[in-house]
Amino acid sequence: MLVVTLVFGVRLLYIQVLNDDWKIRAEQITQHKVTIHPARGFLYDRNGELLVAVNQVYDILVTPKDVKDIDTAQFCSLFDISRKEFLQKIEYACTGYNVSYKASTFIESMSKEEYSRIAPNLKNFNGFDSRRRTNRGYPYGVAAHVLGYVRKISAEQYSEDQNVGEKYYNQNDYVGVTGLEKVYEKELRGERGSAFFLRDYAGNDRTNLEENYAIAGNNLYTSLDVKLQAYGELLMTNKLGSIVAIEPATGEILTLISAPSFDPNKLSGREFSKNYKELLNNDTLKPIINRPIYNDNYRPGSIFKLVQALIAMQEGVITENTGFACNKTLVNCHNHEHPSNVQIAIKHSCNPYFYQVYKRLIQRGEESSIFKDSRLGIEKWNASVKSFGLGTKLNTDIPGVKPGRIPDANYYDNEFPSKSNPYGKHRWAFSTIYSNSIGEGEIGVSPLQMANLAAIIANKGYYYTPHLVKKIGKDGSKRPEYLQKNYTMAAAKYFDPVANAMEMVVENGTARAAKIDSIIVCGKTGTVQNETFNDHSVFIAFAPKENPQIAIAVYVEYGTWGGVWAAKIASLMIEKYLLKELSEKGKKKEQEVLDALILDKHSDFK
Amino acid sequence: MENRAKNIIGKVDVPLLGLFLVLVLAGLLTVYSGSFSEESPQIYSLDKAYGKQLVWITISLIIGVLILTLEGSFIRNSAYIVYGLVTLMLLIVLFMPAIKGAHSWFKIGGFTIQPSEFAKFATSLAIAHFLSTTGVKIQETKTKMIVFFLIAIPGFLILQQPDPGTLLVFFSFIFVMYREGLSGNILLGMLFAIIIGVMAIFFKASEANVNVFGWVFAANYLYLFIILIATVLIHFGITYLVMPRYRGKKYIINIAGGTMALLLVFSCNYAYDTVFKDRHRDRFEVMFGLKLDRKGVGYNSYQALSAIGSGGPAGKGYFKGTLSNDKYKHVPEQSTDFIFCSWAEEWGFLGSFLLIILYTAFLIRIIMIAERQKSKFTRIFGYCTASILFFHYMINIAMVIGLAPVIGIPLPFFSKGGSAILGFSIMIFILLRMDSERKDVLR
Repeated sequence: MLVVTLVFGVRLLYIQVLNDDWKIRAEQITQHKVTIHPARGFLYDRNGELLVAVNQVYDILVTPKDVKDIDTAQFCSLFDISRKEFLQKIEYACTGYNVSYKASTFIESMSKEEYSRIAPNLKNFNGFDSRRRTNRGYPYGVAAHVLGYVRKISAEQYSEDQNVGEKYYNQNDYVGVTGLEKVYEKELRGERGSAFFLRDYAGNDRTNLEENYAIAGNNLYTSLDVKLQAYGELLMTNKLGSIVAIEPATGEILTLISAPSFDPNKLSGREFSKNYKELLNNDTLKPIINRPIYNDNYRPGSIFKLVQALIAMQEGVITENTGFACNKTLVNCHNHEHPSNVQIAIKHSCNPYFYQVYKRLIQRGEESSIFKDSRLGIEKWNASVKSFGLGTKLNTDIPGVKPGRIPDANYYDNEFPSKSNPYGKHRWAFSTIYSNSIGEGEIGVSPLQMANLAAIIANKGYYYTPHLVKKIGKDGSKRPEYLQKNYTMAAAKYFDPVANAMEMVVENGTARAAKIDSIIVCGKTGTVQNETFNDHSVFIAFAPKENPQIAIAVYVEYGTWGGVWAAKIASLMIEKYLLKELSEKGKKKEQEVLDALILDKHSDFK
Repeated sequence: MENRAKNIIGKVDVPLLGLFLVLVLAGLLTVYSGSFSEESPQIYSLDKAYGKQLVWITISLIIGVLILTLEGSFIRNSAYIVYGLVTLMLLIVLFMPAIKGAHSWFKIGGFTIQPSEFAKFATSLAIAHFLSTTGVKIQETKTKMIVFFLIAIPGFLILQQPDPGTLLVFFSFIFVMYREGLSGNILLGMLFAIIIGVMAIFFKASEANVNVFGWVFAANYLYLFIILIATVLIHFGITYLVMPRYRGKKYIINIAGGTMALLLVFSCNYAYDTVFKDRHRDRFEVMFGLKLDRKGVGYNSYQALSAIGSGGPAGKGYFKGTLSNDKYKHVPEQSTDFIFCSWAEEWGFLGSFLLIILYTAFLIRIIMIAERQKSKFTRIFGYCTASILFFHYMINIAMVIGLAPVIGIPLPFFSKGGSAILGFSIMIFILLRMDSERKDVLR
């Protein structure tokens, strides 16, 4: 008996005191760490309208052990699945991580409508239950390109995060993939919390030992005006192109529209894969591309003459009152009054005038060789143009912004017309590159840059980098770089004649279609030559002339000349934004725009 | 009357009564902690395990006090009647509806009564009575046979329930026989039989093959062969070492022993294949370490050891257990067979060591009491009590701490279960009563 007691004592000493194995095993048995996912931040528009919130969705759960006495046929017809699928799903709920006495997902992310159809009958089926969950939801269904979407982290991104990143994510985490969701991922996602539970034999959490609360993500207060955004998307139906509107005084982007667009709700929830594939591959119009920032190979056309005039005046190669003959032998033009000063030249968008202006900018006579002279000239010109935010990447808070192109000497030396066979050093001069003078040639500009140009003229010489987020968090502020003024190389005084000219363009020039009776709109049309198809229609504007509230660029691909569709759309946007209600004239214009059949007429382009 | 009561109380063995009460109280507290719930914290609740346990303890103490008022001679004379009644109950209970697959319980209201718990003291009484009868000698074959039947009748009925765990306890009477003059060789023989049997099952369960000079044998055949060789070797050993005149008897014993061993191995193999069910086989495999299976059969043992181990040196504290209680249920049967886990988890090594010391002290005290009796009846009954309690204690703790296969028998005074606590209490109080009159009566 004493031997037995001694054996017991030694054994107890071993398992309770000397050996820690069973303590570790006990912890494995009893403790359960749970990650608490913070709520992802919401996105609001500039007026506090909810842009991105949550959708209620419902998961149907099954506990296979409890599935008893149910009418399978009725169940299958209610859930619209086959008997085979039903059995497969039940079996899946018993395999791997799933065990038959614990609930697992049977059907994922049912919409509220689907759920309300089956909910009254759910209680008839033993072992089935539902769970409410949230998905990203978009009440307005607009601005898909700006907002971006959220998706389960990709294998690549996960391994990057683990290997070289901050090791934050789990494999089941959701991350922002594009748009603001991506740029502001860290602000939106919040901070994960965790809780420690004691669980019982069946794996239920019974006692909460400690809890580190999750910190919800910050809300983003964007600069978008959702009503204007929605209106712009409506106007762009059946068209290809972009609208960008900026508040000049702050650089805040009011709308950023890429047409064709799509409903962001398509990329949330169960149908993601199917919808994404459709958007990416099956649509020849490529709705997934964010044109206003990504398409930087648009030639600006005549709107570039504004930049040419400003630079030329600043450089002193012309004055406000310099006149040139409209010599159609130099470059084609239409019939108009004599361009005796900059204003008239802009008003009529006189091509020969700006040919002369550009010639003076490029060949300044500082070198006797025109080749060397052009090289000097283009470098100077290039620097000036870049100060307008052209040919340089704007640091806007959306992924995929492209820089566009303002050619320099190096470009013609080494890259144009092709990298394998460029012009070469001192093998080109003004006469080779004069198409740039009227915004054709080798210039590439994105619609965002065009709108920024309108904002620069509205501000008479400076801009804030266009951006989309006004405030990070309720009491937060925008990123500091967006509070920095960027000055152009043209002095403020040279902007007055240009603005006056733009007023005349709308009043009685090429953009009479953009006229609004109660507001002075300053605009400039552009018609970008297009060899394969109709010309592209471009229009930039700001309004009102005094204390401008909105600067806008509209680019309608294949929209023929700028005065037709782009100007009309821009004026409707301005009217809607500044006056909220359209005038009678405006309503007529709106109808014309909505009825326009730009795409339908031509079915065979790519 | 008053005088008489005073008389009895004055003569009751205080250390034994004290240890008994301490163990019962500790058991109750452990059951209380294990099934405590915040929703209904009151201890007196019949819906809860501890409520019922408290009722049973109260009943046990009342009956115990009643036993103290009985005359010793009355107890002695009722021995066969009690034995008969309990045997009858064991017979009747076989016709009761099965609970958890066994016909072991009478169900009366919310309470269940398990007559096999009473069979322990009833059989003890009967054996004590029989062996203390004048003229009965343990050395006689007739006596052995009668004692065997006294044990075998209830044993057989219990096996029919079936309840092999309780049946096992009846083997503990062998210790009593030994004390009363049974040859030590029989005890030794049984010990050998157990060792040979366990090894036979081990080799059988392991399904190991042995390669002997290119011949592949199943290990259990090799084992048989070894026993044969051993017998032969012992035979030659006798020839060379033992004087001729003693050889004949030794040869017979050797050959008989060897044959018995071979038969035992054969029957173990046979039983392993046919009588044992898979669950029994699995238990052996887990115990022999042939299988570390924490989800299946090894689950109980794994969970129990985790609970005990997690107690550490000083325990988690009363009510602080996280494995062995009704809320978490990681340890199965924690309120009955595995109650030691609750204790060890909450009080740690200090507590569990203290408990085995208490048990040992308790058992030693019973043996001391038995040894100081002039009455043969009381001595035998005392040894019966000690043997039964020792068997329970040994098998239960060994099982819980992973030294024996899982055999379902309770830890006396601790495990929840009314009949058990009542049966053990009756035993202790009979012993106390008999002991209290040791100086009055010469028998």
